[in-house]
Amino acid sequence: MNLSRRAMLSTSAALASSVAFPELSFAQEQPRRGGVMTVHFATEQRILNPSLQASTGVYIVGGKIQEPLVDLDAAGNPAPCLAESWESSADGKTITFKLRQGVTWHDGKPFTSADVQFTAMEMWKKILNYGTALQLFLEAVDTPDPHTAVFRYARPMPMNLILRAMPDLGYVSARHIYEGSDIRQNPANTAPMGTGPFRFVQYERGQFIIAERNPNYWRNNLPYLDRVVWRVVGDRSAAAAQMEAGQILFSPYSALAIADFQRLGRDPRFDVTTKGNEGNARTNTLEFNFRNPVLADIRVRRAIAHALDVPFFIENFLGDFAKKGTGPIPSVSTDYYPGPDTPQYAFDRRRANALLDEAGHRRGAGGVRFTLRLHPAPWGEDIALWSTFIQQSLQEVGIRVEVVRLDAAGFLRTVYNDWNFDLATGWHQYRNDPAVSTTVWYRSGQPKGAPWTNQWGWTDAQTDQIIDAAQTELDPAKRKALYGDFVRRVNDQIPLWMPIEQIFVSVFNRRLRNYANNPRWASSSWHDLWLAS
Amino acid sequence: MRFLVAYLRSPPAMIGLVLLLVVIGMALSADWFYPRDPLSLAGRPLIWPGANPRFLLGTDNSGRDIAAQIFHGARVSLLIGVVATSIAIALGIVIGALAGYHGGWVDDVLMRVTEAFQTLPNFLLLLVFVAVFGSDIVTVTIAIGAVSWPAPARLTRAEFLTLRNREFVQACRTIGMGDGRIIFREILPNALPPVIVYASVIMAVAILLESALAFLRLSDPNVASWGNLIGLGRDVLRVQWYVSAIPGVAILVTVLAVSLVGQGLNDALNPRLRKR
Repeated sequence: MNLSRRAMLSTSAALASSVAFPELSFAQEQPRRGGVMTVHFATEQRILNPSLQASTGVYIVGGKIQEPLVDLDAAGNPAPCLAESWESSADGKTITFKLRQGVTWHDGKPFTSADVQFTAMEMWKKILNYGTALQLFLEAVDTPDPHTAVFRYARPMPMNLILRAMPDLGYVSARHIYEGSDIRQNPANTAPMGTGPFRFVQYERGQFIIAERNPNYWRNNLPYLDRVVWRVVGDRSAAAAQMEAGQILFSPYSALAIADFQRLGRDPRFDVTTKGNEGNARTNTLEFNFRNPVLADIRVRRAIAHALDVPFFIENFLGDFAKKGTGPIPSVSTDYYPGPDTPQYAFDRRRANALLDEAGHRRGAGGVRFTLRLHPAPWGEDIALWSTFIQQSLQEVGIRVEVVRLDAAGFLRTVYNDWNFDLATGWHQYRNDPAVSTTVWYRSGQPKGAPWTNQWGWTDAQTDQIIDAAQTELDPAKRKALYGDFVRRVNDQIPLWMPIEQIFVSVFNRRLRNYANNPRWASSSWHDLWLAS
Repeated sequence: MRFLVAYLRSPPAMIGLVLLLVVIGMALSADWFYPRDPLSLAGRPLIWPGANPRFLLGTDNSGRDIAAQIFHGARVSLLIGVVATSIAIALGIVIGALAGYHGGWVDDVLMRVTEAFQTLPNFLLLLVFVAVFGSDIVTVTIAIGAVSWPAPARLTRAEFLTLRNREFVQACRTIGMGDGRIIFREILPNALPPVIVYASVIMAVAILLESALAFLRLSDPNVASWGNLIGLGRDVLRVQWYVSAIPGVAILVTVLAVSLVGQGLNDALNPRLRKR
């Protein structure tokens, strides 16, 4: 193989065919059993159980160990996983899931509707970020028999919403592990136990996580791989070097340096692509803390938005991997994108200065009006660059910005639990439906400490009303119209601003087979992934 | 005067002095050459040195002028070096002098504390300080000073041990001078030269410590320090290596200059070497 490739590379015509051949051979190749999948794990996590925390950093591990009720197929449509079928009552208030039979937990106990009931009521409804909003009107889960779970809602739950939500917010945990314990402190949170294709083995903080093949997996004779090893590599350059050395086969979620994406993209050993991340569009945020009276003034927030030259930033810093955003619902969401004709804040330094003057913040010594602290999330090079750009841009309109860098745990605690920030910036991840991932950033009444939710101290009755109406609207056309109203309202009030739109970039070693074959591949279970020799 | 002549005759010491003057000159002229904030957006990111005449040393990955950051960074590095060294030397002298002069249980207690500090690698201790107290530039500088005092303390103590029983000290005691006066007015001036020489070592180490912190992205990101620039350049090390290399050279030159000056001072102040 090596020899022939080298020979083929000698002419440029052969080069083209060497790229085309593997594609052809995929279909005929026999999947090979065995092998170890190594994954770049960029930020340490406090929780690995996806029933408790919805985030890519959790799914990348927990999504192989635990499974959701419903998954996505290659085309992005809902596909059975732990639930085999589902139906909704005519009024939308009752949704019945028929569960798969013969599924066992990794400790040998059977998986039943009692597990679903417990997870839904105690985790999704009470703890899970996004889940608390999605399941706000969930009243009870009935279990007429061990393989039927009936979700009863106080208000109608659109079927397409719950099915869109389940792949991310429908992971089930074992009742017998969690019942009667303090769920947030349960040791299984960092040593997850599930029904998935891989069994948790070990988590060595700062070094690695290991999971091994589950021999009793319900999909017969799967998975192909013996093991999955996540290597904790915080340094982007080191991770790129490990990709090149073959020590890491997959780097998910834009975790390498932008320069390295371009460099590795030219290397035939790697596939640098946004494929497999279609369901994971993200926007860069600028979050305001309303407890700071300066930022509670809408003129100041609008001035800040006007002071940022977003097209310049994208063109010079992010290149092909980003485009200008127009608000919380990204343009890739064909079902709900309201178009670009919502309130926008074009780059206009004079307007920004005028607004700040009008708000009563005159320039003082050194041309400084006031000082703000900016907390950037510690994941993704684009966030670091964006925070520097914000600092530089706001300086031009007389706002001094102090960047405060923290590690992942410190950032989440400081911003979303202690509320000890002025500005924060990170990623908002759009997950197929605004009610799954997006409205929680705006709806009031989020539990304190839930990351990536409205922790700004901002309450707006009109926004809350639109969000609630849209979440329980069964007619798809009316739902879309309501989300248009939602975007217009929050873009006008600007409690947080989402001016950049991106899709995650993954880097794959081309030895992998069956990779990126669904729209949330990095989060999915990898039961059919295998490694060519 | 003889000291000055001895110093000027030594080529390494002169090279060190010239380099140090260059760095000081950069620090002083930073505002004149680069009046804008060195952290402000200057142009497109990652322009190679020389590719655009406006940016002699190119731009980093945040579109900031590297030359401006080198000039302003000289200020930060020298300031951290001088302030941290002053803190370390002041602490060291007080503790060393008390221990050496009094001896007995005072000496025992102070030296056990000193040893406790010495057994911890000072970079780890610095990381702990920064983790606990935050990473703004004032905290970082004080923390560097606070981890560097044990060596001058031991040095001062050793000098005091040899000096405290000399005739002139006994004479002072006989005429009823107080301890404070004896320590600071009589013994200290005689004990100072080796400590001053050692200060140059501390200063070099202090600059390196701040750079190492910044390399780990744990220093103050709101000042233009050389270490910050190296830390930032890490992401593009494979292709745009100059972002890290240029401030690396600046640190090398400064530390070398300070070390050579220290060595020169040592040689010039050493009476035995002077006779040769």
